[in-house]
Amino acid sequence: MTTPLRKGLLVGAAGLSLASSVAACAPSAQGSTPQKTSTISGPYKDGTYSADGDYISPNGGETVGVQLTLAGGTISAVDITVHANNPNTKEFQGQFKNGIAAQVVGKKLDEINVSKVAGSSLTSEGFNKAVETIKSEAK
Amino acid sequence: MTHTGWSVFSFDGIGTTWEISTPEELPEGARAGLLGVVEDYDRSYSRFRDDSLLAALAREPGTVTLPAGANELEQLFTKLYRLSSGAMTPLIGGSLERLGYGADYALRPLGHPVPAPRWEDVLEWKGTAISASAPLVLDIGAAGKGQLVDLAAAVLRSEGITEFLVDASGDMLHSSAEPLRVGLEHPYDPAQAIGVVELHSAALCASAANRRAWGDGLHHVLDGATGRPVETVVATWTMAATAMEADALATALFMVDPKVLEGEFDFSWVKVYSDGHAAYSAGFEGTLFS
Repeated sequence: MTTPLRKGLLVGAAGLSLASSVAACAPSAQGSTPQKTSTISGPYKDGTYSADGDYISPNGGETVGVQLTLAGGTISAVDITVHANNPNTKEFQGQFKNGIAAQVVGKKLDEINVSKVAGSSLTSEGFNKAVETIKSEAK
Repeated sequence: MTHTGWSVFSFDGIGTTWEISTPEELPEGARAGLLGVVEDYDRSYSRFRDDSLLAALAREPGTVTLPAGANELEQLFTKLYRLSSGAMTPLIGGSLERLGYGADYALRPLGHPVPAPRWEDVLEWKGTAISASAPLVLDIGAAGKGQLVDLAAAVLRSEGITEFLVDASGDMLHSSAEPLRVGLEHPYDPAQAIGVVELHSAALCASAANRRAWGDGLHHVLDGATGRPVETVVATWTMAATAMEADALATALFMVDPKVLEGEFDFSWVKVYSDGHAAYSAGFEGTLFS
C-alpha cells in the first residue's frame, strides 16, 4: 500500500510505526485515537528527517521522536518513538497507541541492515528431515 | 553476527541451534556451564526422548520431581490456562502426537484432532512436584525454550558476564548498553522481514505457524480445547523482561485477546493474521513494513 502525501500524516504517539505511512488510515480498531493530524504539502527534498516533539501530559513533560523518510515526493517511512518516562504515561499512551496495519509486506533481509532475525521458534533437525522425506516421497 | 566485534559461541541443544554472543570470547567454564544447563533441561522436559522426567508420565500415571525452575513454569502455565479458557495448556502433547508431531516425527495424522485432557481432571502440578492420574504427554515447549534462554543468561551472569545476546534460533535475550536491530521474519519467506525492532536489554520471542508445518493446515500451535491448529493467526512477536514470559505470551497471542494478556503481563507485541494484516501494541517500538 502506498499513501499519497496529501493524505494526513498522523502524529499520534505510536510505539510501533508503519513504514509507508499506513498510519494515515490505520487507527480504527482497539480504541486508537489520533492525537493530532498534520498535512505535509509543498516540495521537499528526498531524505530522512527527524525531530523530537515535546508535549505536556498530566504526568509532566514527555517526548515523542518522529522520523520521516521522503523519497520521490512521498513518505516512504515513518518512525515514531515514544520516550515515556513513567509508567502512568506509558499506560495512557497505550490506550491509543495500539494499532492495526492493513497489510504487512516483506523486505529482503539484506536491504534492512539487521543484526539478527526473530522468526519461527524451535525447528528441530529431526523435524526438518522428516518434512524433507515427506516431500521427496510426494514427488 | 550481533554487535560488531563480539564473539559467538554456537551449539545445538533441545533440537535447535544456539548462538551466545559476548564482547569477549567465552571462557571454558562458561561454555561448559551453558552446555550443562541445556542438557539438564532437555533431560527434564523433553517429550522427544524416552529418558526425560516427563517421558515417565507418558508411560504411566505417577509423580515426578522437576528441577527448581518448574515453580515458575507452573505459575505461568496456570495463569495462561485460565486466561485462555483451556486453549493454551501443557497437556497439548497428546493432541500434537495425534496430528503426527510426536517423537517419531511421523508427521502424518493418526486420526481426527483430539482435545487436550482437562488440567483439573488429570494433572496436579505444585511447584516442582507434578502428578498425573493417567498417562499424559506433557509439552511445556510454549514457555520452555524461553525459560532455558533465561537460564543460559543466568549462567553468563554467574560468570561475571553482563553483556550478551542469548539467541536460541530466534527467541532471544539481550543485555547490553547498545540496542540491537532485529528483523521480524516474514511468516512465509525466511529471506524477508516484515519489520524491524530495537532490542535493548530485554527478551524478544516469536511464534509462527510457518516452519513447523507438515501438511494441509497442520502446524504446531494447537488450541487445547479442540486439538486443532489455530488458523487465523500466522505469526506473533513479544518483548518482555524475561524470555520465559515472552515465549509463553507469543503462543498465548494465538488464542487469547491481547487486551486480556495486557491486563496481566507487562509486555509488548505484534500479531500477524492469516489475511496479512497486523495488530501491534503500544510499547512495541520499531517499524512494520506495510
